[in-house]
Amino acid sequence: MTGTGRTVVEHTLRIRARPETVWRFWTDPERICDWWGSTADLDPQPGGRCLVDLGGGAVMRGEFVELVPHERIVFTFGWEPAPGAPAVAPGSSVVEITLTAAGDDTILALRHTGLAPASADEHRSGWGHFLPKLGAAAGGN
Amino acid sequence: MSGDGAVDGALRALADPTRRTILRLVRDRELPAGEIAGHFPAISRPAVSQHLRVLTDAGLVDVRADGNRRLYRFRDDGLRHAAAVLDEMWSDRLARLQEAAEREEWPQRARRERR
Repeated sequence: MTGTGRTVVEHTLRIRARPETVWRFWTDPERICDWWGSTADLDPQPGGRCLVDLGGGAVMRGEFVELVPHERIVFTFGWEPAPGAPAVAPGSSVVEITLTAAGDDTILALRHTGLAPASADEHRSGWGHFLPKLGAAAGGN
Repeated sequence: MSGDGAVDGALRALADPTRRTILRLVRDRELPAGEIAGHFPAISRPAVSQHLRVLTDAGLVDVRADGNRRLYRFRDDGLRHAAAVLDEMWSDRLARLQEAAEREEWPQRARRERR
């Protein structure tokens, strides 16, 4: 039932702001909390910490791998083990962000790779934790 | 990649609150259709059956026959679900990122455009 392969999550969007601005929203701990975390600890250099606490016990722990100013950010992505945390271990997946200028706008491409099949047990708890949040998001909250 | 269609189907299936409630009901134990329908007194049996079909087609629940009953249970498929959860998280958060970044540049743009 569970595939042995790994899967990819991809998103692309056009933002009416310049790449320098968008870049700051990924690398400045205050700005990343405008859209992702409730608190964040970022050290944007290769090998530097990338920690985003989403609140409610969900903590994304990663490490910056590559940074090309205003163009590209690569970091490892995982949830800290906690009761109810989604089953993606720190270091087990990778997020690549590419920013491309288009006039005064930015095309942002996100590619999240390396997601490994989770064990049924881990998965069950992760799902239980996230279903209500999915519900809230899907409900346009 | 293997998962795009599957993730879309899963997210569509999850977009409905009744279906999310059904998933919670069958998460830890297998339940017959009749008992599931019993949780939704305000919804007709055919409508509940339709929700169960959407969930089955999306691969989120498994169904098996037991005599004349149909038994449903949550399907453990960590890969697909982890991907669906992340896909949903990113689409939600990137929309907020877009809004925040555009708001930050908006005053300058408005000035430029006024000229």
